Amino acid sequence: MPGWVRPAALAVGVALVLLFPELVPNAYVLSAGVIVASYACTATAWSFMGGFTGYVSLGHAAFFGMGAYGTGILIRDLSLQPFLAWLLSGLIVLVITIPVGIAALRVRGASFVIVSISFVLILLLVSQAWEAFTGGANGLNVPRPFADLYRPDHHRIFFYLFVALLAVMLLTWWVIDRSRFGAGLKAVREDEDKAEALGVPTRDYKLAAYLISATFTALAGGMYALWFGDLDPIFQFSILLGAYMVLMALLGGVRHLFGPLVGAVVVGSALEYFKLEFGDTQLHLVFTAILLGIVVLFMPDGVIPAAGALLRRFGPQDTSIREITAEELLERNRAAAEREGAAAGRGGGKPSDGSGETP
Amino acid sequence: MDGTLLFQSLVLGVLLGGLYAILAAGLTLYFGVMRVVMIAHAAFVILAAYLAWWFHRETGLDPLFSMVLTVPLFFVIGVLIQRVLITRLRPATLTMMSVLLTFAIALLIEGLLGLFWSGTQRRVQLSYSGDNFEFFGARIAVVKLIAFGLAVLSLALLFLLMKKTRFGLALRATIQHREAAQLVGIRTDWVAGIGFGIGLATAAIGGTALSLDATIYPSLHWSWIGPLMAIIVVGGLGSIPGTAIAALVLGVGQSLLQVELGTTWAQTLFYVALFLTLMLRPQGFFGGRLAQRF
Amino acid sequence: MSEAAKKPATGLETVRLTKSFGGVRAVDEATVAFRDGRINALIGPNGSGKTTFFNCVTGMIKPDSGSVLLRGKEITGRPPHRIARGGIGRSFQLCRIFPRMTLLENLLVAVRATGLRQLLAPAREAEAIERARGLLVRVGLDHLENAEAGAISYGQQKLLELAGVLMSDPDTIMLDEPAGGVNPSLIGRIGSLVRELNAEGKTFLIVEHNMEMVMSLSDHVVVFDRGRPIAEGPPSVVQEDPRVLEAYLGV
Repeated sequence: MPGWVRPAALAVGVALVLLFPELVPNAYVLSAGVIVASYACTATAWSFMGGFTGYVSLGHAAFFGMGAYGTGILIRDLSLQPFLAWLLSGLIVLVITIPVGIAALRVRGASFVIVSISFVLILLLVSQAWEAFTGGANGLNVPRPFADLYRPDHHRIFFYLFVALLAVMLLTWWVIDRSRFGAGLKAVREDEDKAEALGVPTRDYKLAAYLISATFTALAGGMYALWFGDLDPIFQFSILLGAYMVLMALLGGVRHLFGPLVGAVVVGSALEYFKLEFGDTQLHLVFTAILLGIVVLFMPDGVIPAAGALLRRFGPQDTSIREITAEELLERNRAAAEREGAAAGRGGGKPSDGSGETP
Repeated sequence: MDGTLLFQSLVLGVLLGGLYAILAAGLTLYFGVMRVVMIAHAAFVILAAYLAWWFHRETGLDPLFSMVLTVPLFFVIGVLIQRVLITRLRPATLTMMSVLLTFAIALLIEGLLGLFWSGTQRRVQLSYSGDNFEFFGARIAVVKLIAFGLAVLSLALLFLLMKKTRFGLALRATIQHREAAQLVGIRTDWVAGIGFGIGLATAAIGGTALSLDATIYPSLHWSWIGPLMAIIVVGGLGSIPGTAIAALVLGVGQSLLQVELGTTWAQTLFYVALFLTLMLRPQGFFGGRLAQRF
Repeated sequence: MSEAAKKPATGLETVRLTKSFGGVRAVDEATVAFRDGRINALIGPNGSGKTTFFNCVTGMIKPDSGSVLLRGKEITGRPPHRIARGGIGRSFQLCRIFPRMTLLENLLVAVRATGLRQLLAPAREAEAIERARGLLVRVGLDHLENAEAGAISYGQQKLLELAGVLMSDPDTIMLDEPAGGVNPSLIGRIGSLVRELNAEGKTFLIVEHNMEMVMSLSDHVVVFDRGRPIAEGPPSVVQEDPRVLEAYLGV
């Protein structure tokens, strides 16, 4: 791929996103665009934890919901300026996440999964039961920050606000990805014991990634509250919302900067389409379930690497000189490994998962 | 609260704890043999309850008889899930990816239940549904007692299987140290598969027991999986006796709190217990050394 | 504690270190001292608790009781990354590398970062890369720096793991079966690397089953049986010790 393709593709992508509100035929599609943009934010926010460290959280809806309710309640009870309430709510979620994160990261892997799901379930319970505070099943009305705007203009502004939030997240992602902190997080994803033995303070790193991820998710939730204006525990603290984040991030590919974004566009558009075509049936659940199953079983690294592999296989003009040497190098090593494996009687001895460390 | 009410909730708590115990036993079993947090367990429980309800509606027979079909069916499905799906996952990412996979299965079951039988709430109506009897002043519903009896019976069977049979020995060996079990010639892959099957069979029993006394709807499984996961953590991941004790303790606790706080707030007990366990004693309170490293 | 402080030459020592798994004492009140500047070897039959001992010392497992001292300072039960930063590097029995990172990235993981500025500094920073390249040259893997670590041979992975340990410049290096599953020519290479590094002042503690390697390489051998040391001394002396033969042959 020539050097100019990447920046050019990026420029075209950015231009398309920025022009989107001008290109759409009606306010309905525009509002669907806002929803997809909010999905892109949540999926990217999710991948700060799920992507970098490999710790899969199914309960990120908890942070989304807290951010949304926090914003709404701060406006309602303290009459704060909406965007101040939004920022403050993100900060509150950050603070709440500290003890939750510590508990979640106590027992490797399993406890994280259990705490992440439990957290959203408990918040669902509490937000339904504590009617005086959250409005319970009656919902919570969040006043619009731009009360005098017509609906399409309102959608347009929030589309850009979500895109701006997304841009901040992507920039943060990019900085972390190439940093020492990021290298440590990726080492955790590969082999946590080993990372620790090399001096990476894995617990602190994981906690930091979790906090960043939770805060960004909360900001996306708060933004959603300001846009949508009506909150209901069942939708805000919904397991399904967390599942969408995971599905989008994984489908796009968590090792790639734009992976979660791509996943959000694909899955989000499909979900909006399903809503339009099939309305209230349970079909979207079946669709989500099957897609998630396929991603987990057949392309755990997402579509971007999968598509890349396809391109490399079918596009001969695509291979540059550098890539060929890298291929050759690997080939040579494989041959060497086989020779050596035969000599050592240990056929290519890949390291196992290492659970044989204890006697 | 007065003495009778206290005793009443205590008895109800024990009955509820028994049901929790059989439902959580399967969950801890999967974790033990495969290090898998099986999110779909509660969805299978609800599926079994739906099958019991449907069986009753179609045949007019007691829903308990549906177990003749569901228990073997679920056993086979369990073996297949482990042998066909879980084994496909990379060992390095097994814990995380299996969560997603079983989560997807849970969503699939929920979606299909909704498609087939709609989101309407369902309830089995039996001739003895409303029957009560007196037990030292406490009024106990017959259906609750049947559910409890079923739970105790199947837990006892599970216990005997684990302690007295050769397979149980292999299963326990696999839970304690997979590699060591392999070294002494245990086919751990099949042991894990059958372990999964047994776990899912307990879901069939638990679901049938549940159908006698509960109103069911497709998304009900989410309100069960949370408490069940809390129970296996408090009990010490992978330990069946620990799980049973934790289930009883938390069941009684929930039942007692319910009187003062109402159902919803009483449920938060599970999450408080989960949080405290992880903070104070992440390996669990009732056994289980396993959790330390996982 | 004060006992240890009087003997500055003692680098790493354990006092009545104990760890049991479900009633079996894998490490049983082990009191051992390894002097600085030596190549120490830890040998013993399978299941004698060597790896558990390693894991207790490096913080991967919390011991039930007893203590681990590094130059008189108690480090028992500290988290592994703090022990690593305290100057103890280790390798794993089944060699552990990051299979989906390149060789270079594998080494860059070990670069220390404190403070926000350093944490967010690019991992591929010139100085660190230069250091990593130097180590790759040293272990003879420099031609593969951009290959994925999962694609190189097992023996090469062992060398990579050693380079990763060296990246943080520890003064004590613990190797768990460095020769296990490696072909003879690579064993030789690992052996000479250990000797070189020892000459530069690094202390080694090596668990190894390859007796030829142990006897030719080490200055001091400690024999473990059933979770505790039963004999120690220079290789030639230990070799003759009847207790050692007994432990190995189970007489």
